[in-house]
Amino acid sequence: MLRRGCRVSAGLFRAPRIAPGLRSSTDALVSRFCPEKTDLKDYALPNASWCPDMLSLYQEFLEKTNSRSWIKLPSFKSNRDHIQGLKLPSGLVAATDKGDWRIFTRCIPVAGQGYEYVIFFHPAEKKSVCLFQPGPYLEGAPGFAHGGSLAAMMDETFSKTAYLAGEGLFTLSLNIRFKNLIPVGSLAVLNVQVEKIEDQKLYMSCVAQSRDQQTVFAKSSGVFLQLQLEESSQ
Amino acid sequence: MSSTLGLSWDQHHLGQEVQMGSVARRSFASENVVNRDHALPNPSWNKDLRLLFDQFMRKCEAGSWKRLPSNNHSPQSFQDFQTRFVDPKLPKEQISQARLFTRSFEDGLGFEYVMFCNDAEKRVVCFFQAGPYLQGAPGFTHGGAIATMIDATTGMCAFRAGGVVMTANLNINYKRPIPLCSVVVMKSQIDKVEGRKVFVSCNVRSVDEETLYSEATSLFIKLDPNKKLA
Repeated sequence: MLRRGCRVSAGLFRAPRIAPGLRSSTDALVSRFCPEKTDLKDYALPNASWCPDMLSLYQEFLEKTNSRSWIKLPSFKSNRDHIQGLKLPSGLVAATDKGDWRIFTRCIPVAGQGYEYVIFFHPAEKKSVCLFQPGPYLEGAPGFAHGGSLAAMMDETFSKTAYLAGEGLFTLSLNIRFKNLIPVGSLAVLNVQVEKIEDQKLYMSCVAQSRDQQTVFAKSSGVFLQLQLEESSQ
Repeated sequence: MSSTLGLSWDQHHLGQEVQMGSVARRSFASENVVNRDHALPNPSWNKDLRLLFDQFMRKCEAGSWKRLPSNNHSPQSFQDFQTRFVDPKLPKEQISQARLFTRSFEDGLGFEYVMFCNDAEKRVVCFFQAGPYLQGAPGFTHGGAIATMIDATTGMCAFRAGGVVMTANLNINYKRPIPLCSVVVMKSQIDKVEGRKVFVSCNVRSVDEETLYSEATSLFIKLDPNKKLA
């Protein structure tokens, strides 16, 4: 399979250098990300559409959260509810939010029809596991999930991992090698690992496979830009 | 199987008859899903998208470009794919609910787009308006939504040139984030074909072409009709 190298672009996506001591610790980022009390609906919870594999693997990981080595990430309707306090690189202007925006991976609100997923994050080892079940509205080839939906799930898992591991947010590059199709309604397990953090960039890898690891759906690598916090005090 | 072309939405404002392309297949779903062509202006289309549409409809008259109709199933003939590549025992209820991902949204909320192809030059151009349900970083379009449209556009380019294909590799460099609810121009072309491998590249620019948002290269594999997929 032909592999193209990840060419990371500079130019307008350049952020000023930050001394390592001024960055938030992962613990601080995690506790800001996982509010103890909130009125917001958490979509990353089991519902009737979850297949048995997804339910049982979810339970396994939930038990691991007791020791706090793994954290279950909440998932709200708008990314504004997750990402706060980061300074955009100069020259970038965000569109104005009219309040009806939804994060792409929660775009289809009916349970089971679109993205069903939950992400568990391991702060000490800077890795994540995403349990992903694509619904019938994510179809590409008949009966199978659209390649773009898996690309989006990988991009989203990379983004949240980058955010918690090092205030990463924007995708700089994505390189995906597709191997096998994911049948609609079945479980794909995405394992994401931060490989290195260098030059204001987070480098991550991902393998998406079946629960028994017998089928690899795709492998990918992603590079994300680290941003600066708006407030310098933490 | 009889066919119906829904003609209830407006002809675009230049008054030309909209080119419906190939005959739409009536959905076999039990609920009456009208096989609508989504690659036509609707009230959610902003001015930029309408202008680009009109500009290219004029090019279609000149002959070398063609508008690609788009309903909410995969461009490949469903039955063709089903019988050639997939186990026919796939449950029908599951299939009848299904929608092509990029057409799974109500007007204006998700992907609003239209593709035009130039078969002689092996190019596909896609005008894409990202709706409010495609949010990524607050104020911007999700990298995964951009990846989905790049996959769809380069995939269409590969399909026009090589028949039924499957994505093998997708490699995207994001230069600048795309503000949510804006329109971008995606231009793709065949770079080369080597046996069953089809290499396609694509760039994503602003309407005035001043801003380069992303660049991508993809590899597609032509499916072997003698081998089942699953």
